[in-house]
Amino acid sequence: MNLYLLLLLVSFVSCHQHNQKLEPLAQGTPKRRRWVVEKREKKKKKKKKKKKKREQMEDPQANGDHNHNHIPKKLKLSSPSSFISDSEIRQEFAHHQLGIARINNGSFGSCPASIIAAQKQWQLRFLQQPDDFFFNHLQNGILRSRTLITSLINADHVDEVSIVDNATTAAAIVLQHVGWAFAEGRFQKGDAVVMLHCAFQAVKKSIEAYVTRAGGSVIVVQLPFPVHSDQEIIAEFRKGLAMGKAHGRKVRLAIIDHITSMPCVVIPVRELVQICREEGVEQVFVDAAHAIGSVHVDVKEIGADFYVSNLHKWFFCPPSVAFLYCRKSPIALDLHHPVVSHEYGNGLAIESAWIGTRDYSSQLVVPDVLDFVNRFEGGIAGIRKRNHDAVVRMGELLARAWGTHLGSPPEMCPSMAMVGLPSSLRISSDDDALKLRTHLRDHFEVEVPIYYQALKDGEIGGDNWDGRVAGYARISHQVYNTVDDYLKLRDAINQLVKDGVTCNNLP
Amino acid sequence: MASDDHHIPNGSTTTPPDIQFEFAHHDPAIARINNGSFGSCPSSVISAQQDWQLKWLQQPDDFYFNTLKPSILKARLIIRDLINADHVEEISIVDNATTAAAIVLQHVTWSFLSSQFQPGDAAIILHYAYGAVKKSLQAYVARAGGQIIEVKLPFPVNSDEEIIQEFRKALELGRMNGRKIRLALIDHITSMPSVVIPVKELVKMCREEDVDQIFVDGAHSIGCVDIDVKDIGADYYTSNLHKWFFCPPAVAFLYCKKSDILNQLHHPVVSHEYGNGLAIESSWIGTRDYSAQLVVPEVMDFVNRFDGGIDGIKKRNHEKVVEMAIMLAKAWGTHLGVPPHMCSSMAMVGLPACLGIFSHSDGLKLRAYLRDCFKVEVPIYHREPEKGEDSPITGYARISHQVYNTVEDYYKFRDAVNKLVNDGVTCAFLSD
Repeated sequence: MNLYLLLLLVSFVSCHQHNQKLEPLAQGTPKRRRWVVEKREKKKKKKKKKKKKREQMEDPQANGDHNHNHIPKKLKLSSPSSFISDSEIRQEFAHHQLGIARINNGSFGSCPASIIAAQKQWQLRFLQQPDDFFFNHLQNGILRSRTLITSLINADHVDEVSIVDNATTAAAIVLQHVGWAFAEGRFQKGDAVVMLHCAFQAVKKSIEAYVTRAGGSVIVVQLPFPVHSDQEIIAEFRKGLAMGKAHGRKVRLAIIDHITSMPCVVIPVRELVQICREEGVEQVFVDAAHAIGSVHVDVKEIGADFYVSNLHKWFFCPPSVAFLYCRKSPIALDLHHPVVSHEYGNGLAIESAWIGTRDYSSQLVVPDVLDFVNRFEGGIAGIRKRNHDAVVRMGELLARAWGTHLGSPPEMCPSMAMVGLPSSLRISSDDDALKLRTHLRDHFEVEVPIYYQALKDGEIGGDNWDGRVAGYARISHQVYNTVDDYLKLRDAINQLVKDGVTCNNLP
Repeated sequence: MASDDHHIPNGSTTTPPDIQFEFAHHDPAIARINNGSFGSCPSSVISAQQDWQLKWLQQPDDFYFNTLKPSILKARLIIRDLINADHVEEISIVDNATTAAAIVLQHVTWSFLSSQFQPGDAAIILHYAYGAVKKSLQAYVARAGGQIIEVKLPFPVNSDEEIIQEFRKALELGRMNGRKIRLALIDHITSMPSVVIPVKELVKMCREEDVDQIFVDGAHSIGCVDIDVKDIGADYYTSNLHKWFFCPPAVAFLYCKKSDILNQLHHPVVSHEYGNGLAIESSWIGTRDYSAQLVVPEVMDFVNRFDGGIDGIKKRNHEKVVEMAIMLAKAWGTHLGVPPHMCSSMAMVGLPACLGIFSHSDGLKLRAYLRDCFKVEVPIYHREPEKGEDSPITGYARISHQVYNTVEDYYKFRDAVNKLVNDGVTCAFLSD
């Protein structure tokens, strides 16, 4: 709200100054007047461009829904010329493969050209004189990044923030610690770890490798999908946790996604963490791989013991870099990076800052990324909001075009949305989903992951495909996307439906 | 650099004419005689790496599904042939030797925890084992109940025999009271001080003494000394390709001889491929930049532009570093810490005793001083003198020679030390 008022004030002032400049100046040189007129023309052009972009976001083929005024009047104020322009955005992502409708930012993220250039500078510095780099620059660079992240996520202290490669590594760190607790008798055989049914596959494997192997048991909580409200998730989680705790089983750790991967849903983590505390779960680890740059992250508010997010997914860092937040506690002192090097025993953050000779450059560009996002109106918060609004709009466009629905309501979508696919495609398995994804890539130049929704208990399947939505496309929206990307997907699916294609007869 | 780009001073035609271009990104002001620590990477390989990085950024999904795995396999096949392994399944690519150590040692942890090993069972390592590896032993072996036996090796050292004797003694001690030695961790080339260890003989001894498994830490080896893993006969062998094999940071191989145990090794960063074998697990440990692992073919092209390929490079680096070491020792009135045949592409040169290097931190201070004031980059090793030694040499410089080095680098170092001696500088006067 304050930002809006500030914008309003700035615009008023600059407008006022602009009007003043129209008066003949003391010098009154033709050059100055020309400059003033040019500036005014530039501003007019910008306004026109913005209006055109807004109009483009509407689908001319939609059923008469031409609401050109769907953007509230207040945002129609002209932006200061220092904001990044559309053509600059295109330049920043000019390295993306031409011709591909790249609507899967969620899987591997994206990185603008100016950040890649900044990263190359760091890489060069190491190659130029690696010893000097190691002794005099690397640790400071990593500390700088950690400090920025600390304030981004509202952590109390930079000691709580470690930088690691990715969420997968963070999971290994936390789960290896659980493994030792079993091995050293702090946990008893059969003590449990809770996870969501749709937890990321790599995390499930990590639980197998470190918890099950060490004698722990696993409670799997089923979450509904499609889902209609936070309440559904909260109710299911409470039920699942209570059932899992039956027979007095001790729950040592809960692993909760902030945004599940497939299917993609924003989970009400704060409430779930609260439930965990009420139910006596010892520790809570929030796997928020997608969160930073995608939803608001406040680790104190969320209240978990551990929280991880990848900065290369939605926060414009190059592959790969993630932060692992560990709330200050005696347990945090006993966490170790599994690749043990010279700094073993000096705290996780320091251990993680040197795990042998490697390229640490992606960890060092966080300051450059902040510069980048602050070129956008509203900074990263503005980017998040616009991505969310756009992906919901596009999701609804596609659902209308295909006669399907979204898998979750807009408020449970981050910068991604699950859009039901037409039943005639007959997506019957994970393999089918992968085949369809490959087919879309190879034949339609559309990159989008497909989710197979298995039948629920009691649902009648077999040959009854009438209206059954068994597959969803997980569409993403990032700053480089345009409405054409989604129209391409829409048309591709329509073509497949028209041609009577089913996953069965895909190669 | 000698005026004729085709020739190095001793007259052989061995250096491609564009060698200066390939290493033009190195800081030209520095006498960079420490290839051993962080390695080096020629421009043509950096450029190839950037092509791979771009491919990923262009269309990561396509890269992940269609390109990444076959490209890693290609690199593994080349490495298999380079080191004379039998099967490509025996070759995993990981970030560095530090990661390889974590993999092998984590397996030892599980063996203790599942009671395959008993508390008190031992792991035997060289006293000069790399610091990071020692920490890994603490984290994974000692913590799980294992005992660590360190083999003290002499330095200066004069022959393989001295090393073999000490190792034999330690093995016998280790096995006293029926204690079982579960793992021997042997460096192929120790880091500090740098000595080529007679690994083949030590492995043989371990087999005779019933040591369960042998892990050779050859972090420096590839591109520096010959590696024939079958001939050496260890169960595990790791080496960094970014040290002496011109790869960008960071890439290493971990060779694991085919056995039942091979199926039980896991990468500690567990991802989708868990359970599909170490090599496959290691080829996907979450979203990361794998480009350093993909340029091995381009590196082969690079080394094959040199007379004799990588073997020619190894030979000439060794001859040059010994020649330079002898020159320095003569100039300073000191000696080499190891005889030439136990030097690799690195040599330990005694520093004048008057510099007063009395501790590890003195060595660090002197190294920083040489970097900042003389633009010489060289690591300094401190050695504890034996009782009763007369005016002992307690500091050694570990000089490296790689294809980009010139004789001027070593003259610069020689002159720097001579100046320090002339000015009566000692480590006590250097600031922290």
